[in-house]
Amino acid sequence: MWTQVSQSLHESMARVISRIATLLPGILALILAVLFFAAIAWLVAWLVRAFLKAIRIDDRLARGTNAIAEWSPQYTPTILITRVVFWCIVLVGFLVGLEAFGASSDNVLTARLLGYLPNIVGAVVLLLLGNVIARFLSRSVLIGAVNMNLHYARLLSLGVKWLVLVLTAAMVLDHLAIGAAIVDLAFGILFGGIVLAMALAVGLGSRNLVTRSLEREAARPASEGVAEEQFRHF
Amino acid sequence: MAKVELSEETKAGIEEIKEADLLIAVAVPVDAERLRTAVTNAVLAMEQPASSALRTVVVFPGVGGSEAKTNPDTGDTGDQLRIMPYTPPAGDPSRIPWLPPPSTYQALFAMAREFGARACAVIGADLAALESDSLGPLIAPVVEKRCDLAMPLYAMGKFDGLLNSSILAPLTRALYGKRVRFPLAPDFCLSGNVIPQLEIALQRSTAQGQTLFWPATEAAVRDSAICQVHVEARHLQSTDGVDLSTVLAQTVGPLFAEMMTNASIWQRVRGSQAVATSGVAAMPPADGAPADTTPMVETFQLGFRNLQEVWSLVLPPVTLLELKRMARPGSDRFHMPDEVWVRIVYDFALAYRLRTISRAHLLGALTPLYLGWVASYALEVANASAADTEQRLEKLARAYEEGKPYLLSRWRWPDRFNP
Repeated sequence: MWTQVSQSLHESMARVISRIATLLPGILALILAVLFFAAIAWLVAWLVRAFLKAIRIDDRLARGTNAIAEWSPQYTPTILITRVVFWCIVLVGFLVGLEAFGASSDNVLTARLLGYLPNIVGAVVLLLLGNVIARFLSRSVLIGAVNMNLHYARLLSLGVKWLVLVLTAAMVLDHLAIGAAIVDLAFGILFGGIVLAMALAVGLGSRNLVTRSLEREAARPASEGVAEEQFRHF
Repeated sequence: MAKVELSEETKAGIEEIKEADLLIAVAVPVDAERLRTAVTNAVLAMEQPASSALRTVVVFPGVGGSEAKTNPDTGDTGDQLRIMPYTPPAGDPSRIPWLPPPSTYQALFAMAREFGARACAVIGADLAALESDSLGPLIAPVVEKRCDLAMPLYAMGKFDGLLNSSILAPLTRALYGKRVRFPLAPDFCLSGNVIPQLEIALQRSTAQGQTLFWPATEAAVRDSAICQVHVEARHLQSTDGVDLSTVLAQTVGPLFAEMMTNASIWQRVRGSQAVATSGVAAMPPADGAPADTTPMVETFQLGFRNLQEVWSLVLPPVTLLELKRMARPGSDRFHMPDEVWVRIVYDFALAYRLRTISRAHLLGALTPLYLGWVASYALEVANASAADTEQRLEKLARAYEEGKPYLLSRWRWPDRFNP
């Protein structure tokens, strides 16, 4: 009996080792493809950077309040474009490597994973964009609300941030085809909940404020209007 | 942006009139009849013989606009004075109605060049300069060749023009070394000699996306002779539809942008020089009821509670500590030291240059700090006379000059440790 068990174990080990051995050329091809395309990406990025510097794109786009600089103030357009070009080429290399890897294996799981990869890439891009937009809008709302002297400025800012993040999360999950109807339903409930909570919080919070403001307006003597006009900033 | 091309109608008008000694250039849309009356009175009121004998042309934005339709008559008013409408250049209108965009100045200077004018008086914002007989005193120093640029010295109350008093004037003075009290004045007079240089400067600044024209700065960097003239005019701009943070962003932003352009020039300037001043100071308007600074202090405190994450990206810890002390609600008398305010402005200028955060956010985050300074200033000068108020503003301007080494150091070595 032990002989049969030992034989069975040996056979399964041989099968696994032979499977790994058949995958090795594919893995090697993947690594080679990534390295090769990374080298090409580096070269192309260098050329793109040189070209952008030659046409002085940073100076051209720095005029006034250009959109790129407003949304990503710490990176110049040259750096952003160069990085996008670099990572796009590396991604292409990765896809080529994966294709080579898939061709060298007849595994169904590998084929499905390869087909799913574009969804993952799209989801990552959505997540990054959503984060940038959430941060930008949240800060815009915060500064605007403070300048309007709204005491619930932080609440508004947080509300906008979470609205965008929840929307992003729902889009990401939808893109990854996870959850399907449950995500849609949960998103609807969560999004509506946040909006309702904000409306209630702002409405209830400003009830006294509005009352006081109306009372002050009614009781305000004629000379007070002049006092407010006393400061002329320009 | 290239050179501004004058419209065919404007060129035809210039061709018809041919020459002028003095161009009175109105930069903003005005009622043609009211302009005619005001300018006739203003020219008649010019006492200086050198000014009154000039062949004068008045241009105002009118062709193709509503003014031309409602007031089509643009005839002559005597031999020495002609009034001519011009088509304002197409382009982005200024977000602040009383600040004309650089393209308007380009068109006005192009007309002055075409006329071969010896002097060009720009009337911005409204007709206050014409209706208060301020035109003659403003033109005289330029026509008499005493200076290339005559800037007005408006008589203002202690709570008027606060943005100019707190940032624009003292910062421009510290940077370029000329003590010009109103560097962004809507009315000024230029010598015909400097107009070609300013046209080039305007082409450059519009190409760089500048949204404002700074006559005093342009004259200072070219070492042109600047003088100031006391005038009686008082501009009362309507604030309808324009909030403070927009004005702050639309004026301080371009000033910071100008700093970047002229960095190599202002880094060499040390101290400041007084500019020749003529005329008699007009009586400032009487002070009204005691100022209530509570809303401004509250906005500052609200800003401190909510905007620390933004301010901490721009300001060093020592300034944040000072702000924390000021924002403490228990303090009986709100006070923002000049040194702190000056460092705040300099740090914001540096952050604008480095794009530490979005520029729109940066300038928005300056508003509560500015209101803090206004509250502190208002409390200080509440019972001060006009002379004492001027002294107070002079002290602030000196603080800007004394703080300039800090700006230089931060500008040159922004990554250096700054506690």
